[in-house]
Amino acid sequence: MAPLLLQMLEGTVTSLQIFFLTLLFSLPLGFVVAKGKMTSIRPVRWITDLYIQIMRGTPLILQLIFFYFAPFYLLGLSYDRFTACIVAFVVNYSAYFAEIYRTGLQAVPRGQWEAGKVLGFSRAYTFFHIILPQVVKTIMPSLGNEVITLVKDTALAQTIGVSELFRVAQTASSREFSTVPIFIAGLFYFVMNYIVSRLFALAEKKLDYYR
Amino acid sequence: MSRMIELRGLSKSFGETSVLRDISFDIDKGEVMSIIGPSGSGKSTMLRIITQLEKADDGTLTVDGDRLFESHDGAAVYNKANERRVGLKTGLVFQSFNLFPHFSVLRNVTEAQRAVLKRSRDEAEAKAMALLAKMGLEDKAKMYPWQLSGGQQQRVSIARALAMDPAILFFDEPTSALDPELTREILHVIRALAEEKMTMAVVTHEMNFARAISDRAVFMDGGVIVEEGVEIFTDPKEERTRKFISSFESDG
Ligand SMILES: Nc1ncnc2c1ncn2[C@@H]1O[C@H](COP(=O)(O)OP(=O)(O)OP(=O)(O)O)[C@@H](O)[C@H]1O
Ligand SMILES: [Mg+2]
Repeated sequence: MAPLLLQMLEGTVTSLQIFFLTLLFSLPLGFVVAKGKMTSIRPVRWITDLYIQIMRGTPLILQLIFFYFAPFYLLGLSYDRFTACIVAFVVNYSAYFAEIYRTGLQAVPRGQWEAGKVLGFSRAYTFFHIILPQVVKTIMPSLGNEVITLVKDTALAQTIGVSELFRVAQTASSREFSTVPIFIAGLFYFVMNYIVSRLFALAEKKLDYYR
Repeated sequence: MSRMIELRGLSKSFGETSVLRDISFDIDKGEVMSIIGPSGSGKSTMLRIITQLEKADDGTLTVDGDRLFESHDGAAVYNKANERRVGLKTGLVFQSFNLFPHFSVLRNVTEAQRAVLKRSRDEAEAKAMALLAKMGLEDKAKMYPWQLSGGQQQRVSIARALAMDPAILFFDEPTSALDPELTREILHVIRALAEEKMTMAVVTHEMNFARAISDRAVFMDGGVIVEEGVEIFTDPKEERTRKFISSFESDG
């Protein structure tokens, strides 16, 4: 039993790595993508739009396979599964976060920018001190949903052979003719998402002091 | 040097539509000018150009001796070096208040003082509290905008603008979002500022108020100044002005 738990712990660590690394890169990158979608430079807008359409319009599984095999077939390069997996997740989630940010940015009335400008704030000051806090408040619920989806999506990393928790659990369960490992994995996703949703509920509550 | 605003030949188009054509007027220090005219006549656009929310296409504007833009070969050329300085001299009160919802009333009034004018917290808060008291809002300092009535919110936004010590304050229909009761509150505040010789330009549909406080007045229609002078309220010369003014008489 001990080696099984140890394996599952390793799988859990991998799942958590995928989760945190994806957030680390795609949360800020989503802003860049959102900017691209909102720019007045048309070619940039078109390309950004196409990218978002592809990311939202095709399965993440397919994107994982693409990012793992494409560099090899197209350029003769190969890199490790884990890196490929992170790249695919980041590219995919940046698109989703971008759409969330864009909606949030557009929900802030233009008058907020104008009030900032008339008072003498720089654009950057207005963005970080006036606009961004309001964006964060409006997008909190959709962001929460997306992060919960990410927790569950980490299980897809096994498609390209990354030994995340669910793969470890499946392997163990067929080896030992037992559903216990799968059950343990399920418990992990549940607990993880319980924590995530509590955190988001807490954040929403904290931002509840204004409308 | 008592001239606050000197505007000559201002023109502006949005794409194909010409919104302002050859607008000229002066405002001296301590004067109040009212700007009246039907919807779409370009009143807001004019204020937004002077407060640098929009760019002029052509014309020359001097604010308190600083040239913001100058007409050269039919185009307004901006004097970059003066943009910020002029910006600090001009304040604008919006129809929809545009208070910062995530800041308390106090912070709404201190934020720019601290970030832009680099005043200390104590100095900014003292100034804010004095202005809020003047607006009858000293007990609201810790509240958030959503907890206030529209009239109170507009008074906070006036305090926020005044905290920057502008040389001239512009109002774009400051009471249009308010019901008559709250409108009176705001008109009272603006009247008190006029009595202190605050230089102001007010876009308004409150004709009696405009007549009572104005040293200057312009009537705009279709992007041009049709008629100017405080006589437009009592003895309009142009047919268009007369029609516009008389349309307000019923609610006198
Ligand atoms: N950003 C813009 N793009 C295109 N057209 C605009 C823009 N802003 C204003 N306009 C047009 O310019 C004209 C003048 O608008 P403006 O808002 O200055 O009028 P106004 O006199 O303030 O009217 P109101 O009394 O309704 O506030 C209108 O026809 C309006 O549709
Ligand atoms: Mg207007």
